[in-house]
Amino acid sequence: MSLPVTDPIPEGDPLTLAPRSRDGLLIFGATIVAIVTFLAVFGPHIGPYNPTLTTPRVAVPPPKFTEIPSTLIGWINGTLPHAPHWMGTDASGYDVFSRVIAAPRTDLTIALAANALSLTIGVFLGLIAGYFRNWGTEVLMRVSDVMQSFPVFISAMVLVALAGRSTTNIIIALAFVYVPIYVRLTRAEVLSQTSRGFVEAARALGQPEIKIALRHVLPNSMTPALIQSSVTIGFAILLTAGLSFVGAGVRPPTPEWGLMISTGAGAIILGEWWPSVFPGIAISLTVFGFAVLGNALERRYEAAQ
Amino acid sequence: MLLRSISRRLLIGLIQLLGLTIAVFFLIRLLPADPVSRLVGMNASEQAYAQAQAQLGLDKPVLEQLALYLGLMPGTQPGLLQGSLGISWVTNSPVTSEIAAYLPVTLELITLAFLLAFVVAVPVGMLSALNPGGRADKGVFVYSLFAGSQPEFWWGLLFVYVFFFQLGVAPAPLGRLSPMTSPPEWVTGFILIDTLIAGQPAKFVEALHHLMMPVFTLGFVLSGPIIKMVRQNMVRALQSDFVLYANCVGLPRKRVARYALRAAMAPSMTLIGILYGFMLSGAVLVESVFSLGGIGQYAIRSVLAFDYPAIQGVVLVITAISLLVYLALDLIHAAIDPRIAH
Repeated sequence: MSLPVTDPIPEGDPLTLAPRSRDGLLIFGATIVAIVTFLAVFGPHIGPYNPTLTTPRVAVPPPKFTEIPSTLIGWINGTLPHAPHWMGTDASGYDVFSRVIAAPRTDLTIALAANALSLTIGVFLGLIAGYFRNWGTEVLMRVSDVMQSFPVFISAMVLVALAGRSTTNIIIALAFVYVPIYVRLTRAEVLSQTSRGFVEAARALGQPEIKIALRHVLPNSMTPALIQSSVTIGFAILLTAGLSFVGAGVRPPTPEWGLMISTGAGAIILGEWWPSVFPGIAISLTVFGFAVLGNALERRYEAAQ
Repeated sequence: MLLRSISRRLLIGLIQLLGLTIAVFFLIRLLPADPVSRLVGMNASEQAYAQAQAQLGLDKPVLEQLALYLGLMPGTQPGLLQGSLGISWVTNSPVTSEIAAYLPVTLELITLAFLLAFVVAVPVGMLSALNPGGRADKGVFVYSLFAGSQPEFWWGLLFVYVFFFQLGVAPAPLGRLSPMTSPPEWVTGFILIDTLIAGQPAKFVEALHHLMMPVFTLGFVLSGPIIKMVRQNMVRALQSDFVLYANCVGLPRKRVARYALRAAMAPSMTLIGILYGFMLSGAVLVESVFSLGGIGQYAIRSVLAFDYPAIQGVVLVITAISLLVYLALDLIHAAIDPRIAH
């Protein structure tokens, strides 16, 4: 579930929470993020089947636990008629495993691009709104308020459905939803930075305002937004999957986790669990990994402050 | 004093809503979608196309369309100022009454889910705050991070598989009552209340049975952020001076914990409000897994059919409710913690 809530209160007490256990979480999160990134690059090529081509075998269940060793041996010896379907096949005959590992290319690309876009725009606007305080930036903040009060899921759905279900449009829709968060975060940080001595010092040296804002304030104010990125990427994956689930996301047969869950949803009442359970586990772990990584980084940053 | 600040907030809220209405109005018309061809089909004749376009009012200049929608043109159809959200292009019935029919479903679902999440989160969050950094605290921390980052629609499906298909203890995910049961007379739209008003306890139990899994699914994902928030505020309250003082005076531990809880609940209200507003549309995926027919599913239907008046209506109503909830919770906040009012 993608909650648009960034902690209003920074997580406290870095003293009482032992740093070692946080490092364990950091490693866990980083590992998951590394695996997903690896799959985003190589996933579509390393699966046993082409993720966008059907096989003649429809709704084959995955091998049972007891069958796994014999299947594995048969596969290695080459005695099987075809490569095993480790996660079964869905109602159209797609190999679920190949699609689950190919999907990060779709999901992560959308999430990373949407995050990069909203981060760039949001940080830039936040810098302007925090550094130059006048009626113009006041209007900017009010507009950002109204944007933030849009119902997130519905506005993303409207944007994608009306503009056309393409990857680019999904990226733009998600970026639109996440920009206000970055504006707010950066502006708050800029406000706290400008009250420090170095801005005064730069001004005393006669540097132009634009240069102070870009050279001195910006690099010092970006950390919260960068840390938020990890959380945003995770939630963007959730939102992408949710959009596909209701039919306002990528088009079939694109390998995408939410779409796979949606395709398998009808069959789950009949007991065919594998087409939707495996992609769900993938989303669940991926988003959790990003959330854990973001949280660990946030704590490190706060402890360092 | 209080009255003045409430009316001020309401006024600002109205201006925001007006801005939002206009923004949404132009936004959906800027997007490259063609609702007319969606209605009449790709192969319709030019004449049929033009006729449909005129019927929807899309042949008029955009500003005139906006004025019509807002109800600024007396003598024509009623608009927003007259309390009408327009006529749905798909069903030809007033959007206002359609939303009134769908909205209670969602409100009932998310209110119950919040209650469930709260009943779980308050004791768990308190326990983990009593010993920050302890083993229980770490476990709770990981749980809340996990629950808060889950695809709830997938968990819904998983619960359907386990509790309906495997164990047979839950009903099929086909709505608020079994398809064979006739719904109770529509009074409030909240099915648990309506069945009681109609004096049908059997249907009440059935509705409760059908609501069980969706409420559990949403309550699970909601419990994550709520536990985290209760824990944080509780830790902060326990470290504050008044708790130190209460301990020094020698008040019993239970009573000190109760005071601290009260101080911790007050700031939690803001986040609860934000979450509630978010859930109005965030419940859409769970609604569609269980076919409950709430406002979110209405939104999906309208968006996929390019039904502009319905889309505008849904966005407007959801935002308006969110703003009202924020206001109400700020008032509760001030009631719990009188310092805020000053």
